[in-house]
This record gives sequence, C-alpha cells and structure tokens, in this order.
Amino acid sequence: MNLLEVEHVTKRFGGLVAANDVTFSIRESEIGFIVGPNGAGKTTLFNLISGVLHPDSGTIRYQGRDISRIAPNEAARLGIGRTFQVVKPLPNLTVLENVMLGAFLRTSSRAKAAEESRGVLRYLQMERIADSHASGLPLPMLKRLEIARALATKPQLILLDEVMSGLSTAEALALAETLKKLPEWGISAVGGVEHVMQVVMSIADRVVVLDHGTVIAEGTAKEVVHEPRVIEAYLGSKYKELGL
Amino acid sequence: MRRWQLALAAAGFMLSLLLPLVVRSDYHLQVLFRIYLFAALGLAWNLVGGYAGQLSLGHAAYFGAGAYGLALFTRAGVPLWAALVMLMGLAMLFALLIGGVSFRLRGPYFALATIAFAEVLHAAAKNLPSVTGGDVGVPVPALFHTNVNRSFYLCAVLLTAAATAATVVISRSRFGYYLMAIREDQDTALSVGVNAARTKLYALLVSAAFTALAGALYGSLFLFIVPDQVLSIDISNEIAIVAMLGGAGTLAGPMVGAVVLESASEIFKTIFQEAHLLIYGLLLIIVVLFLPEGIMGGIEAILRRRKRQES
Ligand SMILES: Nc1ncnc2c1ncn2[C@@H]1O[C@H](COP(=O)(O)OP(=O)(O)OP(=O)(O)O)[C@@H](O)[C@H]1O
Ligand SMILES: [Mg+2]
Repeated sequence: MNLLEVEHVTKRFGGLVAANDVTFSIRESEIGFIVGPNGAGKTTLFNLISGVLHPDSGTIRYQGRDISRIAPNEAARLGIGRTFQVVKPLPNLTVLENVMLGAFLRTSSRAKAAEESRGVLRYLQMERIADSHASGLPLPMLKRLEIARALATKPQLILLDEVMSGLSTAEALALAETLKKLPEWGISAVGGVEHVMQVVMSIADRVVVLDHGTVIAEGTAKEVVHEPRVIEAYLGSKYKELGL
Repeated sequence: MRRWQLALAAAGFMLSLLLPLVVRSDYHLQVLFRIYLFAALGLAWNLVGGYAGQLSLGHAAYFGAGAYGLALFTRAGVPLWAALVMLMGLAMLFALLIGGVSFRLRGPYFALATIAFAEVLHAAAKNLPSVTGGDVGVPVPALFHTNVNRSFYLCAVLLTAAATAATVVISRSRFGYYLMAIREDQDTALSVGVNAARTKLYALLVSAAFTALAGALYGSLFLFIVPDQVLSIDISNEIAIVAMLGGAGTLAGPMVGAVVLESASEIFKTIFQEAHLLIYGLLLIIVVLFLPEGIMGGIEAILRRRKRQES
C-alpha cells in the first residue's frame, strides 16, 4: 500500500517553478531517494510534504488522507518526521535533550522521553555524546542528531534531506547500513541526495530523479540509471564511473 | 536543577519570611517589598521573555489589570477573594487578545503588540474617568490594616516563592522543554509536533496571572493608583530589565536582577534624586554590551567553560 502519494504537485516561487507537476509515491516500509543536482527542488518537496510549504496545485496524500494544507506540527503528529538540510539543533541543550524533544511528541513523561531517546542515540551510535551540548558538535554528528530527533517522534515516514552530504564515503556507507534497518521497524524513509550514487544504490528501493523541479525518471535504482534521459541530463560521467 | 539548589532556594525563602524579626524599619521593609515584588514580576516575565524567548515590552497591561481590577471589582461590591480571581482572569483575557493573534505570526509582531496594547490601556485609563477615575486615579482597598509594611513584604515573598515554584515545575516539564525549543529554533519545534502558537500563549497566560497578582499587591500598598503609575511603559521596561539583567531564561536570574536593580536604584535615588532613572538606561547598556545573557547567564557560561576544560 502507498504510504505517501504526491500527485501533480506544483510549487512556484515568483517566476521560478521549484516543483513542476511532480508525481511519485512511497510504499510502506520502503526507502526512497530523490536525486537531483543543486537547486533541483528536493528540499522544496520535503517542505511540501512536511507542511512547511503548501502546493500551488496538486495533492499530497499520506495514509490515504489529503495533507496538502496541514501545518508542520500536524504533519509531525501524523507520523511524518523530518531532518533539516541546514541543521537546526537546539544549541543550548544537550544532545540527549535535543532528542527528548522529539520523544515528547508521544509521551509527556520526562523519564520516558529520556529512556526512549537513549535508545535512539544507541541505534545511531551517539550515546557517548549524549550529555554534550549540541553547540560544539562536528557536522557529521549534527546530521545524525537531526535523524535522532526525527526518529524519536516515532514516525512512519521520515524525510532525510541530505543527511549524507559532508560525510566521507565510509561515513556515508556506515550511516546507510544503519538506515537500512528502518523498514524492519515499519518506518519508510525518503532521502534527498545530490550525488552519493553508490550509497543510494545500496539502500534505495525506489529512486525519483528530479531536474529543475521536474521528475525525469522514477523506478528502482537499476532502472533509473539506465534511463537515457537520466544519463544524459544528469548522471553522465558519474554513471560510467560506477560501471553499471 | 539539583536537589541542593532546591534546598538552597527553600532555605532562602524561609529566611526571607523570618527577616522582619530583624528588620523593623518601615523604609527597609518597603525596599525589600519592592525587591521581592519585582523578583516575582521578573519571574513571571521570564516564562515568556526568557524560556520562550518572546520579548514582551508591555507587561504593564497585566500589572495594571491587577491594580485596577482590585480597585474596580471591589468597588462594584465583589468580595476580595473573588476580585483576586477576577483580576487574574482579566489579565489572562488581555494576554489572550495580545498573544492569540500575534503568536501566529513570525517576526516582531508579538513585541509590537505588547507595547501597543499596554499603551492603548494606558490611554483608555486616562480618558475614561467615569470608570477608572482618569488621571485623578482611583482608591484601592487595603489588603492589610495592621503591620502594613511587614504584611505586604511577606505577601511579596510568598508571591516570589510561588512564581519560583511554578518556574521550577514548568522548566522540568514537557511544556518547559517546548518553550525552550521555540526560543532556540521554532522550525525545529514545529518539526517535532509542537504547536508553537498555543504553547507560547499558555506561557503568556501563566505570566499574566502572576503579574496581575503583583499589580494588585502594589496598588493596595499605595491605596490609590493613577494610570501613569501602574500602566506606564516604565513599569513594562522595569519588569523586562529585571529579568534580562539577572539573566533571561535562568531560574535565579529575576531574583538577582531585582536585588541589583532595586537596590541600585534605591542608592542612586538618595544620591541623585530624579536622575536615578538614568540607572536603568546605564544598566541596560552595560548588560547589552558586556553581559548579553545577564548576570546568571554569564556565570553559567563561565561554569560551563570551566567544566569543558576539565573534561
Ligand atoms: N523560499 C524560497 N523562496 C524563493 N525561492 C526558493 C525558496 N526555496 C527554494 N527556492 C528556490 O527553488 C529552487 C529549488 O530549491 P531547493 O532548495 O528545493 O533545491 P534542492 O534540490 O534542495 O537544492 P540543494 O541541493 O541546494 O539542496 C532553487 O532555485 C531555490 O533557489
Ligand atoms: Mg536542498
């Protein structure tokens, strides 16, 4: 069954069409990736799905329900968690407290929120820095903190906007190994990436290729990289490097 | 907050309640009353301005609602206890009007709305003599008839203790975390399901209720109030400065700020007469330039740095 359905969604910023008649869907317990170069409209799509922006036309359905016009806090309540590409930690709180903020969505108990958050931090291999202040953390840890906070809300769908950018290939692969487990817990994920194709190949069930706000290919990672339009418009030499 | 800190605070309030056994001069009791009154006001302001990070420059609206509420409700024949409940309700109604709309908007709308609303009330109180007595003022019933200064002082201590307890409970609850999250990054707060507009409004309602009680206490001590005294922008500023000087968003900040500001202004009043108002401006400049996080915020930062160096 489809968990998320984006149907003919268009979003304009003045004259710029950031999302142009975008249609794709994500099934339950599936990992999807939106791939596209700088300015392709990935973040805009995440903002539309998470209620930060509202489409000019088209519909976004989540669990069969129209969520095109809901507020971001309502989206979170319905089970849509998200990270921010430009990380947004709460700098004066500790890592654990940052994650607890997410856990508070499903419990009002501080003890329970702390316990659940420690579990999430363990899953992401961050328990060592649980009591550090978020302000001084290096970027790879801040990216993980974004994921931890979103996971603590117990989402059914998590939007991962460029969580791998700024990581070395080894770090990205390690994170991908971790994210691979999400579907086991009934969590679907949609990631956004510019070019970490190797990592995308390793974990994506479905890939949507975006260019200038328009979907130019959709399918499994293998199908997508064989699309002539994708090779020509975007992947080009990178595709050859991978030797697929 | 550690257990020893709680014990320290409790001991501090106990000692404050016993202080009148030693301090007997009316003048000193009045100064101490003012310190505790502004500590309570700073604590109330701190929930919104400190923990939630929403700058209010119009707390005179709730303060005036308390003072005028006590005067007008009792004049209408309402019994004292009911008047106290009603004046809190009036202040909360004002909070609802100010925060209900402006908290939904991004940008400086809340701060502007607080100033505008307080100024409108100020002008209304001046220009509606049939209700408020206009510039002539209105009598406020005496809450105490014997041991007046001691009783008012004790009331102010109790109000500060209650505001401190409320702050402790809130800052350790989910609600308190949500307020801090809104201050640190509202987008992040929204992304984890926080209804930011409603959360800020709840904080403002609690803040308004405490501020109104302080206003009623203040009005009753003077027995007579005029708009320029309880609804002026000076009151709004003094409340905000107490909290910011001591450290917005810290528990001890408002108390520290009240002690420093009120004793400084008392000392300067005897030396410079009217020029003591300058002290507010000077202190504010010093805080903004050298202690942007206030006295307690500055101390916390130093402690944190030391702890980091140790580890
Ligand atoms: N709030 C906004 N107002 C105006 N233009 C915007 C806004 N948000 C995004 N854009 C524009 O929309 C286009 C798509 O941006 P978006 O951030 O969605 O791309 P992206 O695929 O996430 O890119 P990146 O790889 O840089 O993250 C860009 O041209 C961007 O400048
Ligand atoms: Mg982006």
